[in-house]
Amino acid sequence: MKKIFIFAMMALLLSSCAEQITRLERYPKMYEEKPLTIAVMPPINQTNFVEAKDYFYTTLYAPLCEKGYYVYSPMMTMEMFQTESAYDAEPFIEADLSQFRNVLGADAAMFTIIKSWSRNKLGGSLTAGVEYILRSTKTGETLYQREGQITVDTSINSGSGGLFGALLDMAATAVNTAATDKVVAGRQCTVFVLSDMPVGKYSPSYDKDQKMAAGAKFVKATVR
Amino acid sequence: MKKIVVAAICVMALTACETQQTLYSWYDSEDATYTYTKRGTEETLAKAMAQYELVINKQKALRKVAPPGVNAEYGYLLCKAGKKEEGLALLRAEIKAYPESETFISRIINQLEK
Repeated sequence: MKKIFIFAMMALLLSSCAEQITRLERYPKMYEEKPLTIAVMPPINQTNFVEAKDYFYTTLYAPLCEKGYYVYSPMMTMEMFQTESAYDAEPFIEADLSQFRNVLGADAAMFTIIKSWSRNKLGGSLTAGVEYILRSTKTGETLYQREGQITVDTSINSGSGGLFGALLDMAATAVNTAATDKVVAGRQCTVFVLSDMPVGKYSPSYDKDQKMAAGAKFVKATVR
Repeated sequence: MKKIVVAAICVMALTACETQQTLYSWYDSEDATYTYTKRGTEETLAKAMAQYELVINKQKALRKVAPPGVNAEYGYLLCKAGKKEEGLALLRAEIKAYPESETFISRIINQLEK
């Protein structure tokens, strides 16, 4: 009886592993290049909601810091981007990024494309469709790429506990403060989609997360 | 035997919860700076500065150091508000805490010292 039980457990373990792809398999270049410093590029807004760009820009910084990376202050780089007329990231998404390496010292640049942004006023929810692309300033290659369509319930806290919950709650507290719930929703979307991104130098799991599971390339979810 | 397994699972579950912590304490700094960049009034600046003080001096999370960029941002704002020496000291503190920031921050320091 015991043996059957053990076999069953092993079969379960193996079958669950077989379907999952690891972070090393999905994002091998992250582990090859080991970027430390990330410049957050101004979001590329493909929606009619003009303000989404501003709302979204500041929401990338804290979640990326929490992943263990050095992230340049968006407030300070924004001024530089504006004077260098780089406040529109469109021309850079496929171009040479070496200038960001020279001027900032950035190893990688995080591009975001806001594909949809819709609000359900009655239900108090907001749905954001965003693609995240991290490109190397050395090789120009894409190190990380994932897209999410995240519906955020802006009326309540997550209460889910753990690191993820703490991050979401951190984002949710802003509902009660000066910032709008749109900023909160953007941040929750970022935290959710980037949850499978390999971590950086300042995280305790740095260089130990190769075997952890990577998520689907496109993720659709509702976050509460 | 069964009891040991149950106990082991409990311990695993508990330790799993314990290790899950944020790297930094953020307080309301992000929202305060966002509001300040949108509406640059005396009032919003004062609120943002109070949040920077908290984030720099009261880190309760895992790393016990200020997050990347915060010393620099606060220093930059202080310089712009006329407190140049204090501001430059914070910008230098950013490089000390995060040497990888030197290329960018020393550029800012040079601009401010002119």
